[in-house]
Amino acid sequence: MAKKTISSYFAQALIFIACFLALFPILWMLLIAVKPVTESFGTIREILPSRIAFENFYQVSLLMPIWQNFLNSVIVSLSGTILTVFFCSLAGFAFAKYKFPGRDFLFIFLIATMMVPPETNVIPVFLIMRQLGWINKLISLIIPRAATAVGIFYMRQYILSFPDSLMEQSRIDGCSEFRIYWNMVLPVISPALAAWASIGLIARWNELLWPLLFMRTPEKFTLMVSLSQLPVSEGLSTPWPVIMAGATIAVLPLVILYFILQKFQVADLTAGATKG
Amino acid sequence: MIEKNIWQKIWQKRLMYLFISPFFLLFIVFQFFPLIYSMILSLYKWNGLGAREYVGFKNYINLFSDQMFLECLENTFFYWALSILMIIPVALIIAAVTFVISSKRIKTYQTILFLPYVSAAVSIGLVFYILFDHNAGFVNNILAAIGFERIPWLVSTKVSKFPVLFLVSWRAIPWYMLIFYSGLQSINRDLFEAAKIDGANPIQNLMNIIIPTIAPLAFFCLINLSIESFRRFAEPQILTGGGPGSSSMTLVQYLYINGFTIFKLGYASAIGYVLTFILIIVSSFQLRIMIKRSKEGV
Repeated sequence: MAKKTISSYFAQALIFIACFLALFPILWMLLIAVKPVTESFGTIREILPSRIAFENFYQVSLLMPIWQNFLNSVIVSLSGTILTVFFCSLAGFAFAKYKFPGRDFLFIFLIATMMVPPETNVIPVFLIMRQLGWINKLISLIIPRAATAVGIFYMRQYILSFPDSLMEQSRIDGCSEFRIYWNMVLPVISPALAAWASIGLIARWNELLWPLLFMRTPEKFTLMVSLSQLPVSEGLSTPWPVIMAGATIAVLPLVILYFILQKFQVADLTAGATKG
Repeated sequence: MIEKNIWQKIWQKRLMYLFISPFFLLFIVFQFFPLIYSMILSLYKWNGLGAREYVGFKNYINLFSDQMFLECLENTFFYWALSILMIIPVALIIAAVTFVISSKRIKTYQTILFLPYVSAAVSIGLVFYILFDHNAGFVNNILAAIGFERIPWLVSTKVSKFPVLFLVSWRAIPWYMLIFYSGLQSINRDLFEAAKIDGANPIQNLMNIIIPTIAPLAFFCLINLSIESFRRFAEPQILTGGGPGSSSMTLVQYLYINGFTIFKLGYASAIGYVLTFILIIVSSFQLRIMIKRSKEGV
């Protein structure tokens, strides 16, 4: 029995350490964000602020148009996520529940497209955006990944188990195919939709490369681009509390959302993603 | 006659083609066409504005005498190998421990452990920047307090890859942990009961029940992480800017610099093609898994 307690204490300790390491950078960021600019923060003794300095959140808006950037990030992430959930589930529905000429070939082709990495063709994609007149417009960040192969793949796998008999019944009742998708399939697959939406939202909100390429003026930047452009340097000449206030504004929305939704339902997708 | 039938069939099912069309349209415009365009561009010397000059395979040949390119290639492989070694075992251990300990607070632990995945790489990159600062950083202050020398994390070409690696691992471990955890959860607990009755010891359980479940997952994670590694951009860009020199730079960063800072578009396209080549090899393994799964359904 004693052996068991020792190993369970060990397991508990391990989890505590892991939780501490996971939390520390986020907590430290929050603590520095409310420190007066003149205070230093390099040691354990200096970890707590002497007073709560909310003015950092105002100061950071003088360095960059942070609220405009925030709005841009919200627009891009939300509209992109809604579009990708809609288009992926619609295509996944067609692939899972209908027979049409070339279906299997098109699906294998779709899987094969996952081998083409988007980052390696940034130059032609940039030139296409320039041709379309989409440079410095938020639409350039929303449209390109509005329907992705991975998303369609997971949606199709999930929709496969939707009972055909239900669809037959509603067809007899005179429902159109789109009605069947909208009224019957979507509610049933909502766990998969939530999972895909969470992953899409996290990826879009945190994206750096594409907005860095396509957005050219500070008021069009997303939060990540603006933060990445802040002048920082070794040592303490940089007003770190102000910069950490900016970093906090970029992290908090998703963290708060995550706590509200609890687990973001991501587990559902990984469960589906890893079978086999 | 048959010909006509097929077209009729296709016309009949036109709604289905409409449903799947968004992906294929976007693929053609933003992936397929760029892939071809990139190949053509890689055979030219071009600054994006003036006339293009055809140079054949010279861009590719030059790559292999370009010290900076070779360094970025080496760095990328370094990140790839080390991130696998750091992320997969740690993720597996944490997943196993959270699976084994039965605690009411397990949900809370998991919520906390998953937070890094939700946090923006850019923000946490800035945090890591001051965490690893030479004189004022927390890490060096702790090292100094317990009697070690300060390590010039971000300013030495020898160690600059490590803070990047830590940042990458910090953000990636939760995701892989979750995959392993849901894999372990899918094991029917009755199996352990049955094994107990048969007198199996923990090592036999490990060999007969746990490893067969985990092995395909670990392979999936390995491929996934490999693909991510070769696409790495944000973490080193924020934390070190690829420096000092190009000691922590990845291939995607080097591609970005060539394309958008010094406007060597042809050369950058050639770099892109080397990356494409590597990634196609890696993802062909993923392709096999995906096709197999699509046939099994779910």
